[in-house]
Amino acid sequence: MNLKGQRGVLCLALACIMSLLAGCASTGGYNAQGVAYSPPTSGTNAPVQGGVNVAPGSEEDFMVNVGRRTFFAQGSAELDDTARTTLDKQAQWLAQYPSWKIKLQGFADDPGTPAAQKSLSGRRAEAVRDYLASRGVAPDRMLAKGYGRDRLVADCTDISCKAQNRRVITNPQEAADTAASVQ
Amino acid sequence: MATRREFMMGAAAAALAGSSSAAFGYGKPISKAMLAYFAGQSQDGGYLFRATNWSKIDPKWKRQLVQYYSPEPQGTVVIDTSNHFLYVIFENQTALRYGVGVGRDGFRWFGRARIDRKSLWPRWVPPPEMRKRQPDLPDYVDPGPENPLGPRAMYLYRDGRDLGYRLHGTLEPWSIGKNVSSGCVRMFSEDVIDLYQRCPKGTKVLVLKHLGAPIIDEAAPVDSQQPPG
Repeated sequence: MNLKGQRGVLCLALACIMSLLAGCASTGGYNAQGVAYSPPTSGTNAPVQGGVNVAPGSEEDFMVNVGRRTFFAQGSAELDDTARTTLDKQAQWLAQYPSWKIKLQGFADDPGTPAAQKSLSGRRAEAVRDYLASRGVAPDRMLAKGYGRDRLVADCTDISCKAQNRRVITNPQEAADTAASVQ
Repeated sequence: MATRREFMMGAAAAALAGSSSAAFGYGKPISKAMLAYFAGQSQDGGYLFRATNWSKIDPKWKRQLVQYYSPEPQGTVVIDTSNHFLYVIFENQTALRYGVGVGRDGFRWFGRARIDRKSLWPRWVPPPEMRKRQPDLPDYVDPGPENPLGPRAMYLYRDGRDLGYRLHGTLEPWSIGKNVSSGCVRMFSEDVIDLYQRCPKGTKVLVLKHLGAPIIDEAAPVDSQQPPG
């Protein structure tokens, strides 16, 4: 992630002014204790890195208009139609902006030993890499790695957590970053 | 009255989708003012849909990355019906925000749900209570450019039970940012296609509480939105 603090503060101030102009302050609400809270103003809803005017070819463009996440079914490293649709868009973007390299980070939250999860997460990252390669992304622009059951976005036994954790994140990297992370 | 351009759009759509209907939105007429909200057609999975003319859309309803303070984990869909925004929670207190159209007064609701079912180019079957209110509705509308659900639908469940609410597309981009639907959440066609990619089956959904809304989940800690400051 490349969200710089300073710019954030600037955006925040800008959003304050914008929300006043736009008359966002329409309806409030009540929290669980019945205490009134104010509608979202500063801090929340402030545009990040250009907001709606995201720069084409930037990391944020990739996040907003392509998407970094590919999801997997339990115990599987197979790409389904939805996964392939996301990866087709990623390949198209990478063809359009050839200076980016990508780091493919695979994760697991599946039944099995830590070693099995590590292996599964690696196979997920490799499945993404191989598919992108088949769509024209040069293999030397990609680095695939499995992290097993690390960095869970949510930890529970329910599918709502598991579905989010069984993923590969496609991280666009400046050429120099990738060179460093290959070590 | 259908304009000549509309007729041609419909005919092209019918040819591609193999549909015999060239009418707009299951037979609703379309005005020139409405047509201005579209910019040609896009293709998706063998069907055509009317592409949104973004120059007609208030920038605040466009998909964008924003700061968002929420205790919800990444990937959760948070819907703020009062402000007509839908968020997908990202890392570092950010979220991807979409503009949505939500339920008319009387159909507003809040609580927790889960996306247990998703479909590409769904068929639309108006529920009996909706047909009672609008007797001119057809029994069903096949998938395609005249289907009011648009190119995608995500079905909200709780404890294995279909709540009857969906996140779906729309044929009426001018309705984004308004209270129009029967409790469903409608999005630009391009946005619902995008959201579908980001929500695996099992995705958590939180509809924020608002005054006057019927409670459908008493136990839900509904106000994830932190007060500012």
